[in-house]
Amino acid sequence: MDRWFLIAATALAAVGGVAGMWSVSKGIRSRWTVIWMIAAFMAQMGFLSVRGEARGACPLVGLGEILAFLAWSLTFFYLAVGPAYRISLLGVFTAPVVVIFQAVALLPGQLIADPPRVPGTDAWHETHAAMSVLSYGALALAAVAGVMFLVLDRQLKDHHLKSGLFRNLPPVRELLKSTVRLLWLGVALLSIGVFAGFMMPRQGGTAHLIAACAVWLSYVGFLAIKQTRGLTGRRTATVAVLLFVVSLSVFALV
Amino acid sequence: MELVCVGLNHRTAPVEVRERFAVPAGKLGDSAKRLLEIEGLEESVVLSTCNRTEFYLAGEQAEQAAAELRRRLAATHGADSDPHWYEHHRISAAKHLCRVVSGLDSMVLGETEIFGQAKEAYRQALDAGATSGVLNRLFQRAFGVGKKVRTDTRIQEGATSVAGAAVELAEKIFGKLAGCRVIVIGAGEMSRQTAQALVSRGATSVFVTNRSFDKAEQLAAEMGGRAVHFDEWQAVLAGVDVVISSTSAPHPVVLPHHIESVRRVRKFRPLFLIDIAVPRDIDPACGDIEEVYLYDIDTLEQLADEARTRREKQIIECDRIIDEELKKLNLPGT
Repeated sequence: MDRWFLIAATALAAVGGVAGMWSVSKGIRSRWTVIWMIAAFMAQMGFLSVRGEARGACPLVGLGEILAFLAWSLTFFYLAVGPAYRISLLGVFTAPVVVIFQAVALLPGQLIADPPRVPGTDAWHETHAAMSVLSYGALALAAVAGVMFLVLDRQLKDHHLKSGLFRNLPPVRELLKSTVRLLWLGVALLSIGVFAGFMMPRQGGTAHLIAACAVWLSYVGFLAIKQTRGLTGRRTATVAVLLFVVSLSVFALV
Repeated sequence: MELVCVGLNHRTAPVEVRERFAVPAGKLGDSAKRLLEIEGLEESVVLSTCNRTEFYLAGEQAEQAAAELRRRLAATHGADSDPHWYEHHRISAAKHLCRVVSGLDSMVLGETEIFGQAKEAYRQALDAGATSGVLNRLFQRAFGVGKKVRTDTRIQEGATSVAGAAVELAEKIFGKLAGCRVIVIGAGEMSRQTAQALVSRGATSVFVTNRSFDKAEQLAAEMGGRAVHFDEWQAVLAGVDVVISSTSAPHPVVLPHHIESVRRVRKFRPLFLIDIAVPRDIDPACGDIEEVYLYDIDTLEQLADEARTRREKQIIECDRIIDEELKKLNLPGT
C-alpha cells in the first residue's frame, strides 16, 4: 500500500513537471503544475502516514525512507514558498528533483515491504532526524532556485531572450532573494537538527555527527561570507547547488 | 439606420493637418453633442488623440450627415484637408472601431493607450447625451473585443522601442523597479527617453552627468534627479543599479576598472549597463564581469524589431477575433 502511494506521488510529480515544461516550450506560464504537485504532496503524505504507522515513529530508517521524506519536505517548501512569493516555474524545476528522489527510493531493496517498529524511540533522535531531513528540503529548494538563477543569468549574459523559458522565469533579484531566504531557513532547521544530534543517545561511531557538523559549518560560513563581504549571484547560486549535492552525497556515504 | 466613421489619422494626414482638427480632451462630449445638429444624425462619438481624429456617426441618414460634416469641416478648417479624410460605412465602420480600440490601427502596433482614450471619448459622449442604442452597443462591444484581442493574442507582447526594451530587461533583472537607482551618462535624447521610461516604471533616484553641466542640470530637473559633474560620476557608480550611457565620446567612457573598483562596496549586486551610444561608450569587457549585464544599442534595436515583427504576425489572428465577435453583435446599421 505505502509503495503505491509513493508510485502515485512520483507519477503525479512527473506529470506536473512534463505539463509545466510543455507549457514553457509553448511560451505560456503553466498554471497546472502547482495542482499536480499538491496531488503529489497528498500521495506523499499517504506514504509517510502508512509508513510512520508501521514504524511507530518518524519513517526515517534506511535510504528509501529518507529520500521519500526529503521529497516530501522539498514539495512542502515548494508549495509554501512558490505561490507565496509568486516564483513562476519553481514547480517545473522542482518536480524533476522530486521524481529523482522518489524514483531512487522506489528502486528494489530501498524500501522494506513490512517495516518493523522502531524499538524505544527517543525524542532527541526523532527531532534530529526529522529536522535534518526537513532542512534538506529547504536547502534542496534553494539549490533548485539556484539552478533557475544560473539558467536566467546565462540567457541574459548571452542575449538569448526569445525562449518561453526566459519569458517565464522570475527576475534575477527575486531568484537570488529566494535562494538566500531558503538557505537561512534550511540552516536554522539544520541547527536544531545538529543540536538534537548532540543530545540524543550515541549509538556507535560519530562519523554521521561529524558530517552533519561539517555540512552545518559549510552553510553557515557560506552565508556569513554572503552577508558580510557579499557574493555575486552566480557564485551564490553555484555554491548553493554544489553544497547541496556534496552534502547529500556525504550522507549517502556515512 | 446607418453607421459611418469619418476620420483622419497618422497614415492619411501629416501632423500639420491632424493638429488643425484635434479636439481638446475635455471637449469631446460637447463636440459630439453639437454634431447632432446635423440633419439625419441621431448619435455621435468624437475620438481625438495625437494620431487621429474620428467621428462615429449613427442615424437614419448618417451617410448624408457625414458628407455634410465634411463640407462643414472644409469650410471652417480649409478645403485642402479633404484628401486626408477616410470614411468607413456599416460593418466596416464597426470593424474599424474594434481595430482602433485593439491598437491595430495605432502607430505603435498593439499599444494600449488608445483603449483608455476611446473609453474616455465614449464616456464624454454618453454623459453629453450624444449616444443611444446603436453607438452604446457598438462601443461596449468594441471594448469587449479590444480586451479579448489583448488577452487571446500576443499583440502587446515585447517592447517595440529601444527605451521599452531596456525597461523590460531592467524588470527581468530587478523585478519591480521601485527603489532602483539610475545614472545617465550623457544628456542626449535617447538617454532621456530611456531614463524617463525607467522612472515611469518606478525607478526613484536618477543621477545625470554630462560634459556640459548645464545640460545635466536641465535633464536632472526634468527627471526629478540630481546632476553630477562629469569628473565625479564614478563616485555615484557604487550606489546605482542601472547605467545608461549615451555620450558623443569617440572612445569608451565606462571601463572595466571603474566597475571593478566598486564591486566590493556594491556587495556584487547585479548591475545593468545600457550603452546607447555610437561609437560605444561602455567597454565590451565590462560585460565579462559576473554581476554585470551589458546591452548595446544594436541588441536593444534588435529586440524592439523582433517584438514589432511578432506583433505584425498577430494581426491576422486579431482580425479573425474581431470578425467573429462582430458577427455575434447583429447591430442595426451594420
